[in-house]
Amino acid sequence: MITRLRIFLFRLRALVRARQMDRDLEDEIGSHLAEAAEEYIRQGLSPEEARRAARRSFGGVPQTQEICRQVRSFAWLEELSRDLRYALRTLRKNPAFTVTAAATLALAIGANTVMFSVVDAVLLRPLPYRAPEELAMLWTEDPAINLREGRSALWDVAQWRERSESFVDIATFDSVSTLLTGADGVEQADGASMSPNLLSVLGVQPILGRAFSTDEAGQRQAVILISHRFWQARFGGAPDALGATLIVNGLPSQIVGVLPAGFAIAGVDADLWRPHPARPAVRGGQTWFVVARLRPGVSDGHAQTEMSAIARRLDDELPAEARNQGIAVVPLSLYVVGPQPRLALWLLGAAVFCVFLIAAANVTSLSLARGAARAREMAVRAALGANAGRLVRQLLTESLVLAVLSGSIGTLLAVWGIRLVRAFGPATLPRLNEVSVDLRVLGCAIAIALLSGIVVGLAPAMTALRRDLRPSGEESGRTVSGGSSSRRMRRSLVVAEFALAIVLLVGAGLLVRSWWHVINVDVGFDSERVLLMGISTPPALTVPAERTALYLRVLEEVQAVPGVERAGIIDDLFTGNPRERVITVERNDGAVTERARLTSDEVSPDFFAAMGTPLLRGRVFSATDRIDAPLVAIVNEAMARRSWPRQDPVGRRFTFGARDAGAPWFTVVGVVGDMRRQGPERTALPQVFVSLAQSPASRSVNLLIRTSSDDLLGMGDALREAVRRVDRNAPIVGVAPLEQQLGTYVAQRRFQTSLLTGFSLVALLMAAVGVYGLIQYSIATRTREIGLRMAIGAQRADIFRMVVGEGLALSVTGAVIGLAGAWWLGRAGSSLLFGVAAGDPLTFATVLLLLIAVAAAACYVPARRAMNVDPIRALRVT
Amino acid sequence: MTPDKSDVLYGTLGLMVVKTLEALGPLHGYRIARRIEQISGNQLALNQGTLYPALLKLEQMGWISSRWGTSETGRRVKVYALTRAGRKQLAREEAQWQRAAGIVERFLKIPEGS
Repeated sequence: MITRLRIFLFRLRALVRARQMDRDLEDEIGSHLAEAAEEYIRQGLSPEEARRAARRSFGGVPQTQEICRQVRSFAWLEELSRDLRYALRTLRKNPAFTVTAAATLALAIGANTVMFSVVDAVLLRPLPYRAPEELAMLWTEDPAINLREGRSALWDVAQWRERSESFVDIATFDSVSTLLTGADGVEQADGASMSPNLLSVLGVQPILGRAFSTDEAGQRQAVILISHRFWQARFGGAPDALGATLIVNGLPSQIVGVLPAGFAIAGVDADLWRPHPARPAVRGGQTWFVVARLRPGVSDGHAQTEMSAIARRLDDELPAEARNQGIAVVPLSLYVVGPQPRLALWLLGAAVFCVFLIAAANVTSLSLARGAARAREMAVRAALGANAGRLVRQLLTESLVLAVLSGSIGTLLAVWGIRLVRAFGPATLPRLNEVSVDLRVLGCAIAIALLSGIVVGLAPAMTALRRDLRPSGEESGRTVSGGSSSRRMRRSLVVAEFALAIVLLVGAGLLVRSWWHVINVDVGFDSERVLLMGISTPPALTVPAERTALYLRVLEEVQAVPGVERAGIIDDLFTGNPRERVITVERNDGAVTERARLTSDEVSPDFFAAMGTPLLRGRVFSATDRIDAPLVAIVNEAMARRSWPRQDPVGRRFTFGARDAGAPWFTVVGVVGDMRRQGPERTALPQVFVSLAQSPASRSVNLLIRTSSDDLLGMGDALREAVRRVDRNAPIVGVAPLEQQLGTYVAQRRFQTSLLTGFSLVALLMAAVGVYGLIQYSIATRTREIGLRMAIGAQRADIFRMVVGEGLALSVTGAVIGLAGAWWLGRAGSSLLFGVAAGDPLTFATVLLLLIAVAAAACYVPARRAMNVDPIRALRVT
Repeated sequence: MTPDKSDVLYGTLGLMVVKTLEALGPLHGYRIARRIEQISGNQLALNQGTLYPALLKLEQMGWISSRWGTSETGRRVKVYALTRAGRKQLAREEAQWQRAAGIVERFLKIPEGS
């Protein structure tokens, strides 16, 4: 053991003082030979003979030196460092190759690392709850009204909890509008409500204090939990926040706990959480998000089977208008990142990997070409005694050095790219804020770099192995062909590059077309020069009529602001997930009660004018539609089609609830165009508008302000001022252009589209470089042949055609394979498309033409060069 | 090289070097080589160069040490000396060789037909 350590230390020292030791050994051998020669002279030999005899008795001097060197060194280390030095020298000697290859690989590695970090954060990393795979969302579904992922009433949840056996527990939650009274007035806060068991279902502990008890929920005690963020911002993270009191919705509420940093559930991320009771006595009312923990060993499928049976049984027990409800069990992870972003991310991941493959193919092709040029060098080294393994190791070292170089640059690019993604990525992509450069991501970068090193190094190494290592007369001459196997490999690489590029291009083309359709969708309103401003009422205004009065006064004041053309009010413009409601409508054949998914909103008379939504029939609300006048309503086209098919709705009546429920009847006075308020990609739902003046106003509303000013944000201050003139305490939620609000709907699509377009353009460029390099090289090695052809009468145009033809044949072959792949892939990803078919002929044709044009351009330069080959020069034997 | 000389038995050169140093004290490379040849009665076909890797190995293992000194002829030479670890190791190896040689000898002494 000690001996081994001694040996190790000795060798380590020898490594540092290698040169000194070499010199010492030389001196030592020198003295040895001198001593020996002296002795031979004493024996009577001439000095010349003595020196020879000394050498003879010594044996080979260089061999001895070499053996000594091996004895004292770590052989592999020495060899590696020699290989490394050689590799660095080779790379430095070919700056064009090195820069091209390193840049190509670095780009690919960087892009892949960024994409991996996004996929990792969004899809692969487990959710921050205990055993997240056991958590599932439960949804109310109703296929009859196309209701998917519907929220559920507490009464239903109580039924499910009692009847099901699949779940340990079921909890409910939702965001609720919350006002916080502070020293400087009232402000809107991010509030939410949870059933007291939510934290235990998720397996999350408050980091300070405690969760709610069931009693507190039942008695509606004013206790709250605060977010870590809020705790830091308001209390500086001090522990005395526990027990402090905040005025929430006008009610003093005591803080009983602080939630862990980043706590959020299914997109509900609030600062203030209140408890709500888990078992209401009656059905209906507010609906909630439902999350449940499966019993260990129970699968989603099993739970779904049980819940479907429970839904059928409930259906049988319930009155007719409440029937037709299904229950869907959706794993939480699947819900958090829905199937569409999930698919999009996987496809983008695959796309960027294609870019990597193309980059690797290109660099491989480059080094194959270089490998062929180095055939002589390899042959010489083989002749000098290097075996095949040794040569392969040398080549692999070279490509690994290249990989490490590009890997380092690529990682830097990735760090920068991740920052870019975080800054510009869509806010709608969940968990994007968790994207970061961590060990996993770095590990991925290293893995990709090493993979590229091996891939790039292996091909030339393989051909080097296969090639006859002895220098042949042909290879030493001018007609170095690079070996037919290397040539075949390079041709197939180019074909593969084009195939991959076309798949990406078609994908990008389809997404660009979808994007075009999305932004050109008629959303049913004109968002240009319209501002959206949210205002809430102070908690002191408890009577709804007072709120209505406040809103109407604000509206008047706002309309008086210079630059305001029209202003209208709606309670909530962008309703994400409207509930289904029971509605009774009068038709030609009498009153019919049905369940429909529709939105119902209170709006002011000028709302439609401010939005630019056309009135198709009848009239809009007027000042005479007051609380004491008959109730009136306006419906949109979708509602008209749904409830009064092929009939004129104007003058018809409807009521919310069953026919005999005694709810007031509304008379339809107008029909307006459909508005896509759930985003441009979702068809307009049936919508009912009632007069703001005739209904109990909600706590907060949206003002739509159409202006004549181009400086929308400049109007903001004047508008705020107008609101304050009416009521200093009315909280303003924010003033933003309506277009900006719409923008968030398309942000994710824009993100996907621009990423894929970027990737595919890079891919196309790389494929073009690939075919250019191949043709260029092919010409360089065929100068003699071309000269010969010209000498026996080929025209310059023939040569040009021959060269371009060769390149085009390769790219078209690749394109045809690629088109087949793209067609298949388009169908797999068709759910991401909007308004365009997966096999869209226009996209396919455009991409094919683009690709052929690029390929032809890439062949043009080398073809021109081939055309200008001077036959005399080419044929002159040197 | 005369054909009747025998090659150095594998693994014995180190032992010869160490034993020589024990017997004669510190020596430089050429003297060690000559001593080994003399002791073998010039029966050994020693490539003197092979001595140096062997010396290096012994030095690595810490059995001998080296320093620069002067030869009897006034040349700058590297002088090798046995270390304490080398002395101990020599005793062990000597015993081993005696035993191994004894065993081989017994086989060689087996009379025919027994």
